[in-house]
Amino acid sequence: MRKRLVVSVLLLLSLVLSACAPAVPTADDAAAEAEKAVISFWYNPPSGGEGATCYQTTVIDPFNEMSDTIFVDAVAQPEAWNATRTALAAGEGPDIVRTPGPSFVFELAQAGQLLPLDDYVASEGWDDLFVDWALSLGEVEGTIYSLADELETLVLYYNKTLFEQKGWNPPSTVAELYELAAVIAADDIVPFAHTNAEWRPANEWHVGEYFNHVAGPDRVYEALTGQIPWTHEDFVTSVELLDEAQQNGWFTGGLELYYTLTFDDVRGMLGRGEAAMNIEGTWVAADLDTLYFTEENGGMEWDWVPTPSQTGDPIYTIGMGNTSSINRNSEHPEAVAEFLSYSFSPESQAALLRNCGKAPAPVRLTDDAMEGVDPRIAAIFIDLAAASDSGGYGYTTWTFWPPKSDAYIYEEIERVWSGDITAEEYLQGLDELFQEEFSAGAIPPIPERQ
Amino acid sequence: MFGSRRADSLVPNYVILLLLVVFTIGPLVVLVSNAFKSPQELIANPLGLPMRPTLANFPEAWRVGEFATTIGNSVFLVVTTVFVELVLTGLAAYSLARLNPPGQNGFMGYMLVGSTLPIWLFLVPLFYMWSKMGLTNTLYGLAILYVAFNAPFATFLLRAFMVQIPRDFEDAARVDGANEVSVFTRVILPLTWPGFLTVGLVVGLGVWNEFQTALIFTSNPKLFPVALSYYKFTSRFGRDWSLTSAAAFMMIAPVLILFLAMQRRFIAGLSQGGIKG
Amino acid sequence: MALNPEMASAAPVPPRTYVRSAAATRARFLRQKVVPWLFIAPILLVHFIVVIVPSVQSFYYSMTDWSGIGAAEWVGFENFQQMIFDDSSYRSALFNNVKWLLVFLTVPFAMALVAAQLLAPVRKGAMWFRTLLFIPYVLPSVINANIWRNLMSPRLGLGAQVAQWGENTLGTDQLAVFGTAFLGKTETALMSIAFVDNWHFWGFLMVLFLTAMQGISQDLYDAAKIDGANRLNEFIHVTIPGILPTLAFMMMLVAIWSFLVFDYVWILTQGGPANSSEVLGSYLYKQVFNRFEAGYASAIGLSMSMFAGIIIGIFALLRRRGWEI
Repeated sequence: MRKRLVVSVLLLLSLVLSACAPAVPTADDAAAEAEKAVISFWYNPPSGGEGATCYQTTVIDPFNEMSDTIFVDAVAQPEAWNATRTALAAGEGPDIVRTPGPSFVFELAQAGQLLPLDDYVASEGWDDLFVDWALSLGEVEGTIYSLADELETLVLYYNKTLFEQKGWNPPSTVAELYELAAVIAADDIVPFAHTNAEWRPANEWHVGEYFNHVAGPDRVYEALTGQIPWTHEDFVTSVELLDEAQQNGWFTGGLELYYTLTFDDVRGMLGRGEAAMNIEGTWVAADLDTLYFTEENGGMEWDWVPTPSQTGDPIYTIGMGNTSSINRNSEHPEAVAEFLSYSFSPESQAALLRNCGKAPAPVRLTDDAMEGVDPRIAAIFIDLAAASDSGGYGYTTWTFWPPKSDAYIYEEIERVWSGDITAEEYLQGLDELFQEEFSAGAIPPIPERQ
Repeated sequence: MFGSRRADSLVPNYVILLLLVVFTIGPLVVLVSNAFKSPQELIANPLGLPMRPTLANFPEAWRVGEFATTIGNSVFLVVTTVFVELVLTGLAAYSLARLNPPGQNGFMGYMLVGSTLPIWLFLVPLFYMWSKMGLTNTLYGLAILYVAFNAPFATFLLRAFMVQIPRDFEDAARVDGANEVSVFTRVILPLTWPGFLTVGLVVGLGVWNEFQTALIFTSNPKLFPVALSYYKFTSRFGRDWSLTSAAAFMMIAPVLILFLAMQRRFIAGLSQGGIKG
Repeated sequence: MALNPEMASAAPVPPRTYVRSAAATRARFLRQKVVPWLFIAPILLVHFIVVIVPSVQSFYYSMTDWSGIGAAEWVGFENFQQMIFDDSSYRSALFNNVKWLLVFLTVPFAMALVAAQLLAPVRKGAMWFRTLLFIPYVLPSVINANIWRNLMSPRLGLGAQVAQWGENTLGTDQLAVFGTAFLGKTETALMSIAFVDNWHFWGFLMVLFLTAMQGISQDLYDAAKIDGANRLNEFIHVTIPGILPTLAFMMMLVAIWSFLVFDYVWILTQGGPANSSEVLGSYLYKQVFNRFEAGYASAIGLSMSMFAGIIIGIFALLRRRGWEI
């Protein structure tokens, strides 16, 4: 009796096994039939599930439909970068290699995992497509290995309705900002809707903004090019000012809340007027109207100003959301180049901005690119483009700092806030790591000051 | 409060156990009831039962999470892993419990030490080897990894179950002239059936819930396991907690059904196994 | 029940004659030395290939400066030197693992033993109790962690609601402490994670103990009764010894796991705030994927195994002293 039971369980198992063993994947069946060159592409789904489908339908599907010779097999995968690195180490990985920023390209290029792009820059006309400084961001020791995507910046968003009710003016200098924050806090309103609970590296948004807007982009440039150390007093002031805001409880009402509330929580607070301001990237702009400044939340309005600076001059820090390269082991490098040209084209970039709220790549957009985009959001990108031409720009940490220094910036700043270490000690540690990476050459080309 | 096995009052036992059940199950009730709320209701009423229950979250979560694909993959992974695991570790555990292999302490030490190596330590070399063997991006390759990762736990637990069986049963079989294989299949296996169920359950659940290894070793959405469906909802800018709850519900529902079904046999096996002596 | 003839012939048949002969000696050698290892070989092979071979490579990498990609540069024991003498983050992570170990060797064991003892005599509804208490263990860490992240939210969570209720209904701020953002304070983050992990884990221990308790012969309890033992004596002198193999074994596993903990820490705080909940597992992960110090990470990983190895050594020693583990 018992034996029969065992046997039947085994039978059942083998049945299940044979029934649900999925066929070994052979790229895409449709593509295989048409004998197209299949190129693989892994990327992080930008938000939830919808952002991923948006990218697929806006760029990848039209390309696959249009091309008779190429099929892009795109995979939206959480933690795509970790998977990419691991696969590259084994000489595998996708044909199109995406990294989180130019400074991450260095290591891959050094290890010989990426194809030099110089030939394609000429043949595909990328030198005309990209703005000048942007193309050189992809250089490692004089050779171009990557194309920068998602030109981002951070600005100060504020609840305009709330400001009007209270008679507050959007600040343009750091002094005004701190004066106003004190007034707002005294009114029992949260000055800044900031949090890092869902994304620890959000810390670096603030460190970077304080470096660029308190010490100033010239100082940052000098430090990034090794002329001055990070222990310079202007950086100490920057970190101490940031710490002051945290200790005052201006970020979301205190450190413990900053560490635990979700983005949804704090942006909701901004939309309902429970919080007044938020210094954050262009990535959030598209969500503000659709999710937070809604009728249900009271129908308030938002607007933005450049992040206040010490001098009052507007400074837009430049950031890259990610970069694209060609895998050295790709069997179809020409096909990858063709797809990259398509996806970086002004038309595709404009469509991505319109449909998905994705920040455009640093390419020369056509005049009608901003059509159909919220005028406030369009204004950010137009001002950013003007600033990047005129020199009114700064440097985001995840784009221009080498990887180890970058990780240090967002991991260790919490120890300043907790009182573990002083601002000087924090910068001392940063400087040690940075100089090590600097002498190894792991710094991307820094756009010069004008 | 330590109730004996006789006719003492069990009321204190029930009271304390009920409190523990509330502590244990309460959070899950919140999760399940949130799955039936609209996002608007969730904000107004994050902890209570749904006042206006809706099913709208489920088809949406099913579609976005691509559960149709991932559930099949996970079933395959679980069944393969558990089957291979039970066969291989069952044999090893039997040998350890009964056959006195020379150097068995060395082997147990080896298995224990093996269980202390964190995956992140050897991930890159392992991936390299797996890709050279053509096992990345296959469910079989992933299942082999799971078998190996769970081997120490499974071996030890099965051995512990087998050690408890009185030797008289086997000796009787040996006197009848049975060889080691038939002693194993005729005596040990039926008596340790609950042990196999427990191990199978634990390993199977571990595989169903696993996503970290899968994230690295598969890059084809057709091969993603069910945990990745859920993981999608929690990725860094995810925000819709009612949708996320629905996805969580769909991921855990099969587990709960299977667990509840197996639980009966698990207990029945215990009482009829002759172990209680 | 007839034996499958094929299976019977596949395994060596024990010799029926007791005459000492070369063939008999060989057969006995086979039976006593080789056959047991044939049973073990398959799983050993799989485990060796998947875990040990790459780990040996990592052992080499722990002696190098290596980013995880490309060439590794030999540096000897530099990584270990740095780890032991210069890295305060490593030390504080290790200290957190020790705290974790102490918590997990006490709280879940106490809860599980008490609950199992309470449940053992229960007949009516026993299965339901056992099933319900076990359920969190069967759920994935991502879901469990997210449930509790929401329950602990200082905005919409359970504690926040209690605090609000205290303020609005009772007019007291005595309950405000419940509204604390436990995961956001350096003093409480680690213990909050341990709380969540334990919530999901203790029921598993309970079921194992209960199963072991049901394997204890009723005669032993009867004998204890005759000797006039009260219930506590029964528990200490019959139940505990009866489940000692399971108990000791689980203590060892929990101790080992305490040095390897990663999941719940990573999902809930990623080691923060200000490294206050950093454990070796999360520190290792950051070294691999944030800092690209795969060589250094290998050294950390090996040290984790070493600590776990020390635990194993302690238990092996106890075993040698006659403990039945």
